[in-house]
Amino acid sequence: MVGKDDILKIAKLAKLSVDESKIDELTKDMGEIIEFANTINTAVTNVESEDFDEINNIVNAFHQDEIAESYDRELILKNREGGLDGYFFVKRRSEK
Amino acid sequence: MPEKIKKTGKIKYINKLLTDKEISCVELTQKYIDSIKKENGIINAYVNITEETALKTAETVDEKIQRGEKISLLEGIPMSLKDNISTKDVETTCCSKILKGYVPVYDATVWEGLKSQNAVLLGKTNMDEFAMGSSCETSCFGGSLNPHNTDHVAGGSSGGAASAVSGNMAVYGLGSDTGGSVRQPASFCGLVGLKPTYGSVSRYGLIAYASSLDQIGPIAGNVEDTAIIYDAISKYDKRDATSSGSRVKTVDTLNSSIKGMKIGIAEEYFDGAGEDVIASIKKAIEAYESLGAEIVQFKLPSLKYALPVYYILACAEASSNLGRYDGIRYGYRTDNYKDVNDMISRTRSEGFGKEVQRRILLGTYVLSAGYYDAYYKKAQKLRGSIVKSFQDAFTECDVMLTPTVPTTAFETNYTSKDPIETYLTDICTVPVNIAGLPALSIPCGFDNKGLPIGMQIIGKSFDDAKILNAAYKYEQYAKDEIYKELESGVRI
Repeated sequence: MVGKDDILKIAKLAKLSVDESKIDELTKDMGEIIEFANTINTAVTNVESEDFDEINNIVNAFHQDEIAESYDRELILKNREGGLDGYFFVKRRSEK
Repeated sequence: MPEKIKKTGKIKYINKLLTDKEISCVELTQKYIDSIKKENGIINAYVNITEETALKTAETVDEKIQRGEKISLLEGIPMSLKDNISTKDVETTCCSKILKGYVPVYDATVWEGLKSQNAVLLGKTNMDEFAMGSSCETSCFGGSLNPHNTDHVAGGSSGGAASAVSGNMAVYGLGSDTGGSVRQPASFCGLVGLKPTYGSVSRYGLIAYASSLDQIGPIAGNVEDTAIIYDAISKYDKRDATSSGSRVKTVDTLNSSIKGMKIGIAEEYFDGAGEDVIASIKKAIEAYESLGAEIVQFKLPSLKYALPVYYILACAEASSNLGRYDGIRYGYRTDNYKDVNDMISRTRSEGFGKEVQRRILLGTYVLSAGYYDAYYKKAQKLRGSIVKSFQDAFTECDVMLTPTVPTTAFETNYTSKDPIETYLTDICTVPVNIAGLPALSIPCGFDNKGLPIGMQIIGKSFDDAKILNAAYKYEQYAKDEIYKELESGVRI
C-alpha cells in the first residue's frame, strides 16, 4: 500500500511537484494502479525459458560510427525560450 | 460506402478523378479545407490546419497533371498526420501544454516519404496527450467527437485521425499505436486501422511514448486504401535502430484465396465483451467459414497478465522518454520558480496533464530501487511468456480473430472515470503491441445505438499482407453491412 510519503518521494524522483490539494486523490489513484500492476506477481514464470530477449533472439544491430552532416546548432535550439550563442536564459536567482 | 468507391477504394478512385481531370487537386483540397472549417468546431478532429501548404502542394500536383506527367497513387490525396508525428516547420504538440509552440526542424521518416510524393497534408490531428488515453479526452485541446454520434468519443489515442476520416475530412490519416491507439479509434469510428509489425514502419520523428511498443499505422475507409498506405510507409530506415522494413507489397496480394486458412479464436479475448460485439464477431466467423476458412479454438491463459504487463512496461519507458521535457530546450516553461530544479518540477507539473503525470509516476515507481525486480523485471519475463504463447498459437492457426474493443464508443466525459476501468478497455489490443505483432481493426457491424463494432485480425510478425488479405476477403463478402457512409464532410 502506498502512502503520501511514497508518492512525494516518487514525484521528486520523477521531477514533478505535487500540489498539496491534490495529494490525497493522487495517493488513492496511485494505490489502485499499483495494486492493479501487482497482479503480475501472482504469475509463475520460468526464469530460464521466458526471457524476452532470448525468445525473440534479439541482438543489438550495431553499425559503424560514421560522422555525418547534422543540423545547425542555432536551428536545433530555435525552440528554446530566449537564449543566445548556444546559451539558455533563465531568471537570475542570486544576488550580484 | 458509395457504389463507385466499393469497386476500387477511395485512393484509386480519387487518383482516377485527378488523372482524368474530372476535378483538379486544388478544387479537391479546397473542398476538404472548407469541410474542415465547417465541421471541426464540433468534431475537433484537427488541432492545426495547414491550409497554405496543402493548397501549394495541390497546385504542384495540378501542374504535373497539366504537363501530362503520371502521378503516383498517393499524390494529391488529402490526408492528415497525428500531432505526435514530427513535421518540419509545422507545430507539433502531442496535444500537450508542455509542447505548445514546438516546431520541429525535421520531418518524421513517414512524412518525409509521403511529402516527397506530394501527399496533401490537411493538418495535424487531435490525440490523447502524448498518446496516453483511450478517448482522446486527455488532449489539451479537448476531445475529438465521433461523427457517427457526437454524444460519443472518437476513441484514442488517435481519435482525431479517426474522426477526420470518418467525417470525410480526410481520405486517410496516420496515427500511432502503442497499445491500440490506431485500432481502437478505427473500431469506434467504423474504419480500418492497421498496427503494423513492430519495426516495419520507421519510428524516426515519432515523438516517443514507449519505444518498444510504439508503431505508426494508417487509418482509412477501406482495406485497399490501408494496404496502399502501408506499402508506402513500410521501408527500412537506418535512422531507426529497430527498423526492418516490410517483406512484401501487401496491395499485390489482396484478394488471394483464404480457402483452408486457419482462423484462431482464443476464448479469453471474449471475456467481458458486450452482447452486440460478440454477436457481430460470431457473424463474421460464419462469413469466414463460408469463404472456406477453418476455425480453430484454443486458450491463451497468459493474456490474463497482458494489461498489467503493458502498463508497467509502457509507463516505465514513458517515465524515461518524457524526462526530456524540462522547459529549457523547448516547449512550455513556468514563470514562477526558485531555482533550476524547482523550475523543472513546476514546468513539468504545470505542463503535463493528470493522466501523463500518473503514468510518469507509475513508471518511476516500477523502475525505482526496491521495486525494479518485483515489477519491471517480472513484467519483462511475462512479456516473454506472452510472446511465447502467441508463437505457440500461430503453430495452430494462420491468423487470430478477436473483438478490437469489448464495447462500442464510450460516451463523452469518459476520462473522468476510474483510471483502472479505462485501462481495462484495452484488453484486446495491448497483447499485440507486447508481442510486436501486426493487427488490424475492420468494422463488422453496429450495436443497437448504430455505433460501429470493430473486429481485430492478428497475424504473425511480418504477416501484415496476410491479415490485410483476410480483412479484404471479409470486406468484399460483407461490405454492405459493415460500412456506413456519413453525410458530413466531402462527398465524392
